[in-house]
Amino acid sequence: MKGLLKYLSPFAPDQSGAASVLYDMGGLTIICDAGGCTGNICGFDEPRWFLRKSAIFSAGLRDMDAILGRDDRMVEKIQDAAKKLDAGFAALIGTPVPAVIATDFRALGRMTEKRCHLPVLTVECTGTRLYDEGEADTWLALFTKFAKDRPDGVYEKGAVGVIGMTPLNLSRVDADPVIRDELKARGYGPVYCYGMRDGLEVLQKAGEAVLNLVVSPSGLLAARYLEKRFGTPYRMAYPFCSEELKEKLHAVDGKRILVLHQQAAANAIREEIRKTSEAEITVGTWFLLDEEFKKPQDVRLTTEEHLGRLVKEERYDVIIGDRMQKRALPDYEGAWLHVPQFAVSGELEEAAF
Amino acid sequence: MNRTVDCMTAGELAALGKDHIPGEFQSSRHLIYSSPATLAFNSPGAQGFGVKRAGLAVPGSVMLLVAPGCCGRNTAALNALGYRERFFYLLMDDTDIVTGRHLNKISQAVREVVESLREKPTVVMICITCVDALLGTDMERVCRKASKAAGVPVRPCYMYALTREGRMPPMVHVRKTIYELLEKRPRKRTAVNLLGEFSPFMKDMELYEILRGLGVKEIREISRCRDFEEYLSMAEANFNLVLNPECRPAAEDIRKRLGIPSIELTRLYQIDKIHRQYELLGGALGTDIDDQSWYQRAREKVDAFGRKYPNTRFAVGEWLNGNAFELSLALLRYGHQVPEIYGTVTPEQFVYLRKIADLSPDTRIYSNLSPTMLNYDCGEYPADVTIGQDAAFYHPGCPNVPWNQEEQPFGYAGLGHLFESLLAARDGEKITGGSV
Repeated sequence: MKGLLKYLSPFAPDQSGAASVLYDMGGLTIICDAGGCTGNICGFDEPRWFLRKSAIFSAGLRDMDAILGRDDRMVEKIQDAAKKLDAGFAALIGTPVPAVIATDFRALGRMTEKRCHLPVLTVECTGTRLYDEGEADTWLALFTKFAKDRPDGVYEKGAVGVIGMTPLNLSRVDADPVIRDELKARGYGPVYCYGMRDGLEVLQKAGEAVLNLVVSPSGLLAARYLEKRFGTPYRMAYPFCSEELKEKLHAVDGKRILVLHQQAAANAIREEIRKTSEAEITVGTWFLLDEEFKKPQDVRLTTEEHLGRLVKEERYDVIIGDRMQKRALPDYEGAWLHVPQFAVSGELEEAAF
Repeated sequence: MNRTVDCMTAGELAALGKDHIPGEFQSSRHLIYSSPATLAFNSPGAQGFGVKRAGLAVPGSVMLLVAPGCCGRNTAALNALGYRERFFYLLMDDTDIVTGRHLNKISQAVREVVESLREKPTVVMICITCVDALLGTDMERVCRKASKAAGVPVRPCYMYALTREGRMPPMVHVRKTIYELLEKRPRKRTAVNLLGEFSPFMKDMELYEILRGLGVKEIREISRCRDFEEYLSMAEANFNLVLNPECRPAAEDIRKRLGIPSIELTRLYQIDKIHRQYELLGGALGTDIDDQSWYQRAREKVDAFGRKYPNTRFAVGEWLNGNAFELSLALLRYGHQVPEIYGTVTPEQFVYLRKIADLSPDTRIYSNLSPTMLNYDCGEYPADVTIGQDAAFYHPGCPNVPWNQEEQPFGYAGLGHLFESLLAARDGEKITGGSV
């Protein structure tokens, strides 16, 4: 039955993705909810919450706010918080409540901007979509609003922008040193790790990058926008496979392999296996599957039954992915290599490797 | 740089009075900061019992969450507590949340869930969220239909965060829901129910012995029911003792439906008030309750702490098994200092606030959910020991007693164990949950 989960738990939703992108940006992030969505984000989907502070707040909507559409009250609350906290901007993130009452986010954004004298961006999440779609919308909104124009031909020497650096994509909390070291070793200059330690100030320089690396399909929308606006080329890459994981991947013994992960990570895993194996490898993902970076056999999964059917029909002998998904495959008898996917199970890679 | 923190002294708040609580202290008037300290406000299930976990208090029950995926996301955290096989999800899409067409799928989903289980569940709880609150869904009707289709009882659980400050907040509602399957049975004079919590009270809680001393043979709590039949036998009780005010509507519903009256007791940490409460309970039951031995034992523990660590400075939070203001008042009355309280100021708290103001007018009270707590700096007001998980967050490195254990403290036993834990914490032991 479409929408029924008998074995899996829901994956990270769009508002979690949006909040994750904004975490290190230095703004006020307001989740337009009654509280539960913020609780989910802060208590589950944002592992950085317990490590360092970020100004993420719930709008604390109540039934009469929603029924009467009392947006002005929410704006008053934001105005009050903006007066008492340091913030470069405010971001309003949607949830099911504004989705049901059809909140006009553009108008709400304009109204907030005017009253709070702060730049405001809005992300119309609904809670029904997955985290990567929320991330994609947020990256695009950030670059559209804040990336500064630059004179033609002026670049920061060797600078690389990295889009998609969130724990939800990487299953790691602070992975920026990994990619900074990797790119430095390859002779690149400064690395703009948008959203992971690098905040709004760095994001404003996006036009100065000579290359954008996209570590998840959630960054592609923004990368294509930056290519169009600044002519910056982009590539999909995922240089986060640990040596331990690489060793395990090289030892995988199978003829038909299914890799379950977000597309950039799954592609990287496939390439790693390819170094030592000629197995047929399919990427399966519950999340965005971009045409430009997919192989013909790759699949976007829609339901538990879909996964079950795929595994049964294709007779994979090895599955690589988060073990939480194993529950949905009670009849599967092949091998399973556990690679945590935070957006699926809430497990970080540090816990596994 | 702006570093404002919204706080007032007890003296200032008491002077304003319960009808003039400043906006900074009213959670409906400001954005809600869901810091690790106050996570339980927005996500009670993350640290204890939220609606989802609470709804499964009925033995043998399973839950179908009917909501957008975001509402069930953190439920995976409950897997480690043994709930993996008991949660199912019917995810709504964008069309569902506008048209309400998901309601037509619930019967089939319940049937599929029941068929997928080796054992038939005793009840399927349908948990619905803000979307259905706004759509005005008649869940009673939906549940009746699903029950007929699946051949098992189906009951609604309302996880309506939108109604948090309403007359029937979600955690109040779910306390009512879990007793709704009880059906009228002949009452037994020797049976009593303890209502209010989803996990058992401390084994050495004196109330058990007091009740047994009064001739009560069966003391039932939903969390101690081993199976559905034992749960159903809660309908035999002669009376209910309500040990959490959030269970008041449930007790009233039980009184109306099953004719079982109730008596409400409050969790207190002021020893003389605990004693007085037992006197009143005795009066209500037409007997005298001799609580001296328990009183003395608790008093000894309070005094032992005071002798070793007189004039201790406490920072008291609200995410603990107790009322932050009543507990602070108790500590002040035992001769200690309470420089800071992190709490939610409501008119009901003024009964304690006024007394705190008399004893310690400079006690600073922070609006725990205020966005300005982002600016809080513990260096300004050091403490010797903190109580509550939130207080621990604000004073990292300070000895802490979280006092948020699942085994529920109550009465003299709760007070005694609290002071044992405080003593251990000040002695340098690390305390997790509650008791040492």
